[in-house]
Amino acid sequence: MAKNHMEINANSDTITGVKLTRLKNKRSQLVWYIFLIPSFLGILLFMVYPIFESLRLSFYQSNGTIENFNGLNNFKTVLTSGPFWNSVWNTFYIGIFQILITIPLGFIFATLINSTPRGQSFFKVIYFLPNVTSIVAAAIIFAFVLHPEMGIVNYALEAVGLPTPKWLADPSTSKWAVILLAVWHWIGFVIIICLANLQAISPDMYEAAKIDGASGIQQWLFITIPNMAGTFAFLLITGWIGALQRFNEVYVLGGPNGSPARSIQTMGAFIYERGFTGFEFGVASAATYIMFMIILVFTFLNLKISKMKL
Amino acid sequence: MKSTKSNKKAEKIKIYCIFTILLVFGVLLMAPFAWMVSVGFDRTANITMPFPPRLIPEVPTLFNYGIVLENGKLIQAYINSAIVTISSVVITVSSSLLAGYAFSKGRFKGKKLLFIIVLGTLMIPMEPRLIPLYKLFNSVDLLNTFWPLILPSVTNGMLIFLCKQFFDQLPDTLREAAQIDGAGEFKIFFRVYFPLAGPIAATMVILAFIWSWNDFLWPLVVLTNQDLHTVPLYLASFSLENGTSLGGLTMALATVSVLPIVVLYLFLQRYIIQSIALSGVKG
Repeated sequence: MAKNHMEINANSDTITGVKLTRLKNKRSQLVWYIFLIPSFLGILLFMVYPIFESLRLSFYQSNGTIENFNGLNNFKTVLTSGPFWNSVWNTFYIGIFQILITIPLGFIFATLINSTPRGQSFFKVIYFLPNVTSIVAAAIIFAFVLHPEMGIVNYALEAVGLPTPKWLADPSTSKWAVILLAVWHWIGFVIIICLANLQAISPDMYEAAKIDGASGIQQWLFITIPNMAGTFAFLLITGWIGALQRFNEVYVLGGPNGSPARSIQTMGAFIYERGFTGFEFGVASAATYIMFMIILVFTFLNLKISKMKL
Repeated sequence: MKSTKSNKKAEKIKIYCIFTILLVFGVLLMAPFAWMVSVGFDRTANITMPFPPRLIPEVPTLFNYGIVLENGKLIQAYINSAIVTISSVVITVSSSLLAGYAFSKGRFKGKKLLFIIVLGTLMIPMEPRLIPLYKLFNSVDLLNTFWPLILPSVTNGMLIFLCKQFFDQLPDTLREAAQIDGAGEFKIFFRVYFPLAGPIAATMVILAFIWSWNDFLWPLVVLTNQDLHTVPLYLASFSLENGTSLGGLTMALATVSVLPIVVLYLFLQRYIIQSIALSGVKG
């Protein structure tokens, strides 16, 4: 009997002990949530709420004060609007050529920097400088650099006997002015990323290939390129996501409607024009959602690929 | 013997060729900057741009810079940008350090899910949030103040992610020692881990500074009052107003506006290049 009693006592002792540590655990867990409060307040207020509010707005006719339910009409308006599809075309056109030019060119220059024994860090600094300057300032500089009569680019083209386009003064060449600017601004980034990944390839692989008698081109084709595949995928997709969101430089060069003749109005500029010069919040929200969905698809792709590589 | 000598020679020629190509391309990339600086010092450039282009202005002058600075709007824009950038950097770095540390060393329910939410924010671009945020700040009467530019920087998924990765590399044993001494979590963070976070804090300051200083779309939407314009906004509105006339003034303005970032970059280039390669985000 006494023995039993003792046992029960001991039991209840351990129970209170467990309870105490549990309580302590709970308290020490709570502390961690305090660390997260600032960030998560921000997420709720500036990320989660706007995303849902924007979805709601896309079903309403709204100018900011008066709202009427509108069903799918905003999406219909956007998807049947010529200027919207024109802006999609411009965004894709500029983005595709920017990427097609910059990634191969950047890779070539990364390879060249990698194979020069002297001045590697000097070239890195020089090549990367355009990327840190604001795209707004860069666009303004390019408006002068690409001036049809007095710009340095046309001066150089004329000097070597090439035709001199009107660049931003002509809707048929204005997109190429933006592409040129985009290449200039992005190439440093591509070079730095390529270079970092080139230098991460183990030199042993090249040694082994050399012993096996592989030529320089063979080494490049069978070692360098496969090892860089992940890097190219990363650049392709981040570049594409950035290109889909292009706004700043086309706003500076062509205003909200992307003049001349809407030839450089991107999706971002279309949204800005409808939302903040026309105050058609519903239509603009529908357009942002379409754009958001496109971007989301590519971001998912990016996550998938970067999980596999990098 | 002879063949190795000629091989060496060929190797040397190759290296010189590569070096020349790199140099030429570097000059091409730098040409717009060189021209910007040169035209900024050229008085005649406000009437017509110097043509044929020349590197050294015919009449070198500080005239353009004088006008640009005298006008006062640029200085005001600089002050505005400084207020916004410094506040944003302080807020974003502090909150990201706290969150990144908690995600690395903390043990609490829902950690995994919450971290996925943080990573999820990386997928949300600015555009779909533009109008709701505009309406939100309008409803509390904060448009045309700096608050809409400063407050949202409290959340930065990329920086939280970088921070977590950094703290993951620091050993847990540091915590355990402090815990035995009876220190609370905040004390452990501030006394033990925070002093070790210098490198990642520097990276975050650099990234946040560049992002905030160059930010354009959101400021354009919320700051319609010209007196509140940040540097990129002032630059853009000046350029949209004057087009490609007044080349000298515009280029002087552009020079002054890129100066802080360029100087920062030249001093910290090694860290900046590392940081940007690390974050994988367009500058």
